[in-house]
Amino acid sequence: MLAPEISALLDGLHPLEVRVLLAFGEVPSVAEAALRETSGLDASRLSMALGWLLTKEAVRIERETVTRRASLAEAGERYAAELVPELRILEWLAVGERLTVADLRAGRGLEPDEVSGAVGALKGLGAIRIVEGGVLEAVPGADVAEFHALQRLIGALRDAGSRVMGDPSTADDDRLIEQFFKKRGKAKGIFRIDEEKDRSYALTPLGEALAQAVAAKGAVGEEVSQLTPDLLKDGAWRGKVFRKYNIGLRPSRVFGGKKHPYRAFLDEVKTRLVSMGFEEMRGSLIENEFWNMDALYMPQFHPAREIHDVYFVREPRESRPIPEPFATNVAQVHESGKGAGSVGWRYPFDPSRARLLVLRSQGTAVSARTMAGRPKIPGKYFSIARCFRYDQVDATHAPDFFQIEGIVLGEGITFRTLLGLLRLFAVEVARAPEVKFLPAYFPYTEPSVELHVKHPKLGWMELGGAGLFRPEVTLPLGVTVPVIAWGLGLDRMAMMALGIRDIRDLFTPDLEQIRAQRAVVAP
Amino acid sequence: MNGHLRRCQSALRAHVRHVGVRHVEPLPGAQDLLGFRMPTITALKRDFEALVGRSVTLDELEAALPLVKGELKEHVPATDELRIELNDTNRPDLWSVEGIARQIRLAERSPKPLRAAKTPARIDSRIRVTDDLREIRPYIGACIVRGLGVTDALLPQLIQTQEKLAELFGRRRQTVSIGLYPLQKIVFPLTYTTSAPDEASFVPLGVDRAMTLREIVAEHPKGKTYAGILAGCARYPLLVDQRGEILSFPPIINSQVLGAVAVGDDELLVEVTGTELRMVMLAVNIWAANLADRGARIDPVVVEYAWTTPMGRRVATPRDLSRAVSVPSGLVAQVLGDALRPAESKRLLTSYGHRVTVSGSTLKVTPPPYRDDIMHPIDVVEDLAIARGYASFVPEMPSQFTVGSLSALERYADRVRELLAGLGFQEVVSSILTSRHEVWERMGRRGDPEGLVEVDNPMSESFAVLRPTLLASLMRIEAASSKAVYPHKVFEVGEAAVVDPAADPGCRTEVRAGALIAHPTAAFSEIHADLESLAYALGLTYRLEPIPHPTFIEGRAGTIVVGDRALGVIGEVAPQVLETWGIGMPCVLFDFELDPLIGG
Repeated sequence: MLAPEISALLDGLHPLEVRVLLAFGEVPSVAEAALRETSGLDASRLSMALGWLLTKEAVRIERETVTRRASLAEAGERYAAELVPELRILEWLAVGERLTVADLRAGRGLEPDEVSGAVGALKGLGAIRIVEGGVLEAVPGADVAEFHALQRLIGALRDAGSRVMGDPSTADDDRLIEQFFKKRGKAKGIFRIDEEKDRSYALTPLGEALAQAVAAKGAVGEEVSQLTPDLLKDGAWRGKVFRKYNIGLRPSRVFGGKKHPYRAFLDEVKTRLVSMGFEEMRGSLIENEFWNMDALYMPQFHPAREIHDVYFVREPRESRPIPEPFATNVAQVHESGKGAGSVGWRYPFDPSRARLLVLRSQGTAVSARTMAGRPKIPGKYFSIARCFRYDQVDATHAPDFFQIEGIVLGEGITFRTLLGLLRLFAVEVARAPEVKFLPAYFPYTEPSVELHVKHPKLGWMELGGAGLFRPEVTLPLGVTVPVIAWGLGLDRMAMMALGIRDIRDLFTPDLEQIRAQRAVVAP
Repeated sequence: MNGHLRRCQSALRAHVRHVGVRHVEPLPGAQDLLGFRMPTITALKRDFEALVGRSVTLDELEAALPLVKGELKEHVPATDELRIELNDTNRPDLWSVEGIARQIRLAERSPKPLRAAKTPARIDSRIRVTDDLREIRPYIGACIVRGLGVTDALLPQLIQTQEKLAELFGRRRQTVSIGLYPLQKIVFPLTYTTSAPDEASFVPLGVDRAMTLREIVAEHPKGKTYAGILAGCARYPLLVDQRGEILSFPPIINSQVLGAVAVGDDELLVEVTGTELRMVMLAVNIWAANLADRGARIDPVVVEYAWTTPMGRRVATPRDLSRAVSVPSGLVAQVLGDALRPAESKRLLTSYGHRVTVSGSTLKVTPPPYRDDIMHPIDVVEDLAIARGYASFVPEMPSQFTVGSLSALERYADRVRELLAGLGFQEVVSSILTSRHEVWERMGRRGDPEGLVEVDNPMSESFAVLRPTLLASLMRIEAASSKAVYPHKVFEVGEAAVVDPAADPGCRTEVRAGALIAHPTAAFSEIHADLESLAYALGLTYRLEPIPHPTFIEGRAGTIVVGDRALGVIGEVAPQVLETWGIGMPCVLFDFELDPLIGG
């Protein structure tokens, strides 16, 4: 009976680890090279398996020797053929050439840093001096034996290929190698020194226990790691043991296809509105002022209709004529209230202004067209309409935004029904049963109300605006029953749910950020 | 006059267009849910309490503010300042501390609602209006205020009311502008007349030298701000006194000499000019009510026009424009869902400032002179609901049965979104308002765009056209996402718009589907396979017709054709296009319209 920790480790052993454990045999300490031979693993796989076993403390490092091996670097190979720069310079001077440092740098096959290095070294030894005109002059009798020794060593290394350092008999050569390995600053070194680590490993007591258990189990590293069609086909999987995985490791994430979190949020809202009996309406991004404002009894001089508040279309500037009887009815109701029991806004209505094209500034334009198009009575309608508002784009204003709004038409609808509908929205859309109704103002509704809800995290917040359409709105469009107009502002809630503070992040073009956003279910 | 107004409006537009994008500032004030600018006023709490007649806690204030559709935004204890946002853009009488306090005071103590004093038979203070103003800025109203005592605290309130009424109610002084003057410097009668721009000069507020009217319009900060109002006018309005001294150049600026109100002034002339007679009258009434609430005596001024206005040739101001409205009790019950006894309705409406008489089941309601917003009995019904308190109404569930549904287009679009997400594409949402540069030049297009819906008055060139397809939106995503792990597969299903004379209202809104793939070996075949899979799942028979297209590599682009309609394009983005976007990765994409696929 194995101790539980041995058993657990045993189950999780990789086949490579199994082979290494078995390769130790009875020997207390084994060199890496020997292990390579016994296990039949190549160096990299052996080192991988040993690494795992070291982490598990099944093996330990018994002994580590580092062998330093010298060979010629690229510069050394060149000097083997052409002499080191110092000796070359001395030879040129010896044959009486007149040379300056600049001459050496040009066309002598020497790199600038080789020139400065060699000239500096020779000057340091007193083997040359620089006379008038920067001309180099050899100083007879200086000791330049070091460079001849270096040249010999380079030749020897070229012939031998490499040499193990550390032998006392070649201590002088080792010194030279060290000197010219490091020296010459950034210049290419003459020699290369490679360190070869030779380790001996031993099994720890845990490793011994594991090795014994592995041997006893007879699993000679032949666990199946991957189930394959072949194994299934011939039934070879029978009697095989499948290696157990460490399923606690966290994998990297994949980026699959998914809906945009804000669109998903709107989808949820859409579903809830449909489930409450609302029918979807759609409209045009571009509207004329008539449907965007006039039909909603917003006077043509209303501040929200100015050049600073609405985007106008450059070309075409206006729509076709407004259909009758709406054109006449709406003009009359603005001018004199005629047909709606009102005194109207009392100003001259400009029918040409009504045809000006604007970017839809409010979703209510869609409702206006629905009312003029023989809506169902009773009827409930909604739209999630992209609207454009004349505002600087900042943390709370996007250039265009989704407005969720709609209408409810029916006999017997009252202010109390309106409040009931709003409370239903609070519960069904925002899951916030605690509500407050505050007086509000919209030019097209009377009475008007703002819906405030107590959000569990945001506290009291405005969720929507609503009201009963004024008779000046409904009657000119041929609607004779009371109509509730409502709009919901869900962006703040959505941003909260998505953990976003800046509305620009809601529509960020950065894919990394979009991928990182979680799928959030509306409250 | 109508002709004049239209001219003025188009002049203003032309002016705004002319001065260019960066000068276009939105009106001050926050927007409500539907985009209306709401005035915010600042007041001292102790001033507010003095006007209400008792001390008021912040909680009490917040509880009372629904009466004025107001919201307390801030109270700064150190300065005693309150900031209150007013929701009702049609109740200018509430855009002052006096107006707010008045509405609350009425509800608490039901004093007698204000009615305008009887106009005395003889009024000494006269303003003569010359005929040449008819086409420029025809109307003026005024009142004389005595015993006001302008203090350090009051002066900012006067300026605030002036600003709110002229900027918001008067639409940047276009329809209404206001001047205040220390009375003792003026000699009645006054003349409201005109002058050629170079013929009159005076020292305007804010500078220390005399300027001609033309110089004021061209150089003075206020002149530059409001010049658009007088664009196209050959003569400018001028208010002068009996001696010929200039009081002001309406609607631009007052005289430094006659028109600078200072702390310590006790008697004032309040003057309102404008293009709309009722609005001018209402503004005078609001001033009269506000300053009367502060204990001042209001004396009328008579205006003598050279022509017959809708209110006659001789108009005394302040002038009560109120008109009784009949409100049947049945309407109250029908709208509010609660039947109120007429006596109860009367009590509530009186506490809201109306004068009410009951005859049978009908209420005769006369609004106070500082209000001109009652157009229909329904407006009185709302006042009734506010006076009673919205909390007093028991919400009732709408009981009628309706069947909910999504449009066929929305359902189709949702199906496409599901399929594209299933094919491994990440959904994105981009703004519809974008720049011409992005949808045109950056997509390799040259020349003048056809069918592009361009904004005439953009706030910035970055948001100046509606996207005609989703191509540029997808490219923008890729351009911003070089750090995201590749491969990239993104899609959008969303609206785009093009000019279409056959469509109502002259442009067509399309729902389009677009997808983009970007990675080191992205190629036509890959995006084509996705289009193929999408079309197959949708049961769509399509074909590709090779086209030369400046966005794509030649020979690697095609039109997506269904039946005989070209719905969109597919292709490998040309390297020069990638370069203008700063994209260093091959991109392939498609984009096509969904609308024609519905119900076919």
